[in-house]
Amino acid sequence: MINAIRRPLLNVRMLCRLIGLLLGIEASFMLVPLGVSAWYGESDWQGFAIAICATLCTSFLLSRFSNPRSSYMGKREGFLLTASVWIVFSLFGMIPFLMCERPLNVTDAFFEAMSGFTTTGAYIFASSDGLSHGVHIWRALMQWVGGMGIILFTLAVIPSLNHSGGMQMFNAEVTGVTHDKVRPRISQTAMALWGIYLSLTLLLIALLWAGPMDLFDSICHAFGTVSTGGYTMADGDLGKYAGSVYVKAVLTIFMFLGGVNFALIFKTIARRSATPLALNEVFRWYLGAVLLLTLIFIVDICANTHVNSWNDITVEPLFHVVSTITSTGMTAGDLTSWGPLALALTLVMMYTGACAGSTSGGAKIDRLMYVIKHIRNEIARCLTPNAIMPVKVNGKAVSPDIVSKVSAFMGLYVLLITLTGVVLTVLGMPVFESFVATFACISNTGLGASFENVGGDYGAFPDAAKWFLSGLMLTGRLEIYTIMVLLTPSFWRR
Amino acid sequence: MRIIIAGAGQVGTHLARLLSNEAQDIVVVDPDSERLAWLDANLNLMTLSGDPTSFATLREAGAAECDLFIAVTPYESQNLVASSFAKSLGAKRTVARIDSFDLTRGENRPHLKHIGVDRVIYPEQLAAEEMLSSFERTWIRNWFELNDGQIIVAGVKVRAGAPITGMALKDFGFANRNFHVSAIKRNHMSIIPRGDDRIEAGDILYITTTRDHIEDLPVLAGKTAYKVRRVLIMGASKMAIRLANLGADQYKFTIVDNDLAKCRRLPMRCPDAEIIHGDARDPELLADLGIEDIEGFAALTDSSETNILACLTAKELGVKKTIANVENIQFISQAENLNIGTVVNKKLLACGSIFQLLLDSDSSTSKCLALADAEVAEIEVRKGSKVTRHAVRDLGLPSTMTMGGLIRDGHGMLITGATELRPGDKVVVFTLAGNLHKVEKLFV
Repeated sequence: MINAIRRPLLNVRMLCRLIGLLLGIEASFMLVPLGVSAWYGESDWQGFAIAICATLCTSFLLSRFSNPRSSYMGKREGFLLTASVWIVFSLFGMIPFLMCERPLNVTDAFFEAMSGFTTTGAYIFASSDGLSHGVHIWRALMQWVGGMGIILFTLAVIPSLNHSGGMQMFNAEVTGVTHDKVRPRISQTAMALWGIYLSLTLLLIALLWAGPMDLFDSICHAFGTVSTGGYTMADGDLGKYAGSVYVKAVLTIFMFLGGVNFALIFKTIARRSATPLALNEVFRWYLGAVLLLTLIFIVDICANTHVNSWNDITVEPLFHVVSTITSTGMTAGDLTSWGPLALALTLVMMYTGACAGSTSGGAKIDRLMYVIKHIRNEIARCLTPNAIMPVKVNGKAVSPDIVSKVSAFMGLYVLLITLTGVVLTVLGMPVFESFVATFACISNTGLGASFENVGGDYGAFPDAAKWFLSGLMLTGRLEIYTIMVLLTPSFWRR
Repeated sequence: MRIIIAGAGQVGTHLARLLSNEAQDIVVVDPDSERLAWLDANLNLMTLSGDPTSFATLREAGAAECDLFIAVTPYESQNLVASSFAKSLGAKRTVARIDSFDLTRGENRPHLKHIGVDRVIYPEQLAAEEMLSSFERTWIRNWFELNDGQIIVAGVKVRAGAPITGMALKDFGFANRNFHVSAIKRNHMSIIPRGDDRIEAGDILYITTTRDHIEDLPVLAGKTAYKVRRVLIMGASKMAIRLANLGADQYKFTIVDNDLAKCRRLPMRCPDAEIIHGDARDPELLADLGIEDIEGFAALTDSSETNILACLTAKELGVKKTIANVENIQFISQAENLNIGTVVNKKLLACGSIFQLLLDSDSSTSKCLALADAEVAEIEVRKGSKVTRHAVRDLGLPSTMTMGGLIRDGHGMLITGATELRPGDKVVVFTLAGNLHKVEKLFV
C-alpha cells in the first residue's frame, strides 16, 4: 500500500522467503539422485528422501511464515542473499552424504557439498570408486548447478525476481570485472547463458556416450567438465577411462569452452560469425596462455621423463594445462614425475584461472591482463610522468575506477592466499601442503596432487582446516568482495 | 517491447527507470561510459557506450529490430540525426526531443516524417501548457482531462481547517458522491487510499470527478478560486519565452531578468510582454512593479534553488499563485511540501509524454499521466476480461491500484463499489509506479 522510504537495515523477511523459494528448487534437483538410486536399487535413496523432506519442510516454513512487508531488495540484501544461498544449499546438500552407504561426518560432508557447489572438486570420499550411483550423480549435479550459478539459474526460471533485487544478486554472483549482459533484461540474460551452458553439456554427453563411456558415466563427466568442477567417478583422475585418448581430447575441448566467457560464446553463436571471438582480447590471451604453457610443459616433459608415445607430449600436457587453468582440476598424468617446474606452473595456472564470465575459478585472465597493462603503463610513466596512458582493452580505454578496483582485487587475492596459508600451518599442516590447498580452494580448482605429508587427500586435514577451506572456496567462487563485504562491521549497521 | 534510449541524461535515465520497471526491453546508448555504469549496475536493462549518431553503434544496439527509438540527448540536431538513422536502419517508431518551436508546427511535420522522425517532444512547450492550465485554475496543483474533459483528475492540497480534514474516506465518499479520492500524496509518498484512511491537512489529494461538479471542489478543499490577470516571470529562459508567447492573449506578462544582454534580445521574441532588467528577488523592484496587483508568479531560471526561494518571497509579498521550475528531479518532492503552489519539471513532463506515446501503440491503454511515483491510465475494458465478472467491490483488486471513474458511451461517471464494468468502458486507473503492466492484465 505504501512505497516506504524508511526501510529496515535488512529486509530479513524477504530474504527468508527467497531462501525458502530457492530451497524448493534444490529439493527438486535432489529428485534426480533419488530417482537414480531407486533405479539402481541402492539403499542410498533413503538418504535422499530424508534430505528432500527436510529441504521441502524448511522451504515451506520459510516461505509460508516469513510474510514480507515489502519486496524491496537493496544492495545489502543482494549480497547477503547470494552468500547465504550458497551456504544454505551446501547445508542441505550435504544431508545425503551424512547417511549414504559410506557416510561422512558433518565437517567432511559440508566440505564435500561446498566443494561441489563451488565447482572446486576437492573430495573427501576416500575412494570414489565404491560410491553409489545416487551419490555420484548428486555430486555431479551440484557442480553443474553451481558452475553457472544458483542465483543465475533462479533468475532464469523465476521471472518475479526481475523486479525485486535481481540486479543486485546478479552482480553479487556473476564473475568478472564488468558484468556483460547479452540481452536487455536480467531474466533473458540468465536464460541465454543457461541455454548455452545446457547445450554444451548435452553435446558433451552425446560425444562421450558415442565414445567408450556408458550413459551414466557420460552424464556425470559432462556435468563435472562443462562446470569446470572436476569431481569424477574415480579418484581425481579418469579411472578406467584414463587410457582413452578420445575421452581426454573431448574433455579438453569442453573444459576449454567452459573457461570461455559465456556471453562471448552467446554473441558468437547469435551472430553466426567467429569475429567477436577472434577480436576479443581476453580470449586471445586465454588461448595464448594455454598454448604457451602447453609448449613449456612439452619441453619440460621431454627433459625430465622418457617419452613413450606421441600421446605423452600432446594430449597429456594439453589436458593438464586446460584442466588446471580452467580450475577443473582433473589430473590425468603423473604430475610429480614431470618435475618441479610443472608443479610451479600448475600453481601459477591455479592463480590465473580462465576468462571472467565463464564457469572457471581463479583470479581470471581478464584481471591479470588489466594489471599487467596497468603495470606496464606505470613503468613507462616513470620516465614521462605527465603521460596519460589509459589501460586499453579491446581497443577501448578502461576507466581508472575499474583499473583501481581490479588492482585492489588482485592485492586482496594474494593477501588472502598468504593469510590462509599461514592459518593452515597454525592449524597443524605442513607449509607446502597448506599453500597448495589454499591455491586449490580459493581458485576452485580442487587439485589434490601430492599431499603425501598429510596422508594423501583433503580427508586427512584437521577439521578446523576443512571448515576454513570451505569458507575459502565460497569466497573464491563469489569473487571475494561478496563475502568480504559481509565481514565488515558497516554492513551490519548504518 | 524493445526500446532504445539514446542519451543517459536526466530524461533518459528517468525514462529508462520507468520503462524498465514496466518490464520492457531497454537498451540505453550514451557516449559517456561512466554515466552508463550506474545505470547498468542498478537497473534491469542493457547499456551500450557509443555515439548515438554512428551507424555502428546503432546497429550494435539493435536499432534494426527495435519497436521504439527515443533520442533524448541534450542536442536537438543530434536527436534528429540519430532518429533519422535509426529509422532508416529499421526502427518502427522514432521520437526526438527538440527545443525549437519551429519544428512543432504542423506544416513542418511531413518534412520531419520524410527524414524518419515520427514524433517530436518539446519539453518547454509541455511546461508552458502545464503552467497555463494552472493559472487558469489557481486552486489546483495538477489537472488532467480525460476523454475531452468528461472525466477530470485534479490534484488539490488540503489546507488546515478545510471541512474535509480528518474525515475518513468512506465518510467522504458517502457525503460527496461526485468525487472519488483516487490517490493521496503524503510525506513524499503516494498512497492508494482505502476507506479507513483519513484525510490529513497538507495532503495532496488526487480527486476524480466529472465536468459538471468540478466547480464544487475548491470549497471542499478550503480554497477560493480567483482570476489571474497579471503574471510576473523571473528569468528569461526558453520556457519563459514559450509561456509568454503561448499565453499572450489571456494574460499580461512581465519578464524580469538580471542579464542585460538577454533582456535586449527579448522584445523580438516576446513582442507582447513587458521586459524589466533587474533581480526579481529584490523586494524593492517587486514593489516598483506593483506586486500587489500581480496574481501570478513563475520562477523559471535555470537554478532550482533560486526559483524556490523566489517563489517563497513572492508568496510572502502576497502573490496568490506561484510556480517554480525545479530542474533537479530529486528536489521536487521537497519543493512540493513547501508552500509554493505548483512545481514544473520539463524533464518529467517529457518523460510522461513519451511514456504515453509508448502506451498509445498498445491499443487498450490510451492515456497515461505520470506523477512522481504513481501513474494514472485510461484503460479500455475488453470483452471477457477479469474486471467484467463482478461488481467492482467483489473483484478483489490489488491494493496498489484503484479505479476513479469511467467513460461509457461518451459520458463520464464515477466508479463506486456497486459499479459493474462493461466491455467498451474506458476506465481511469490509478496505480503505484511500476504496476501498470500488472493492472493492464486485468482488463485484457
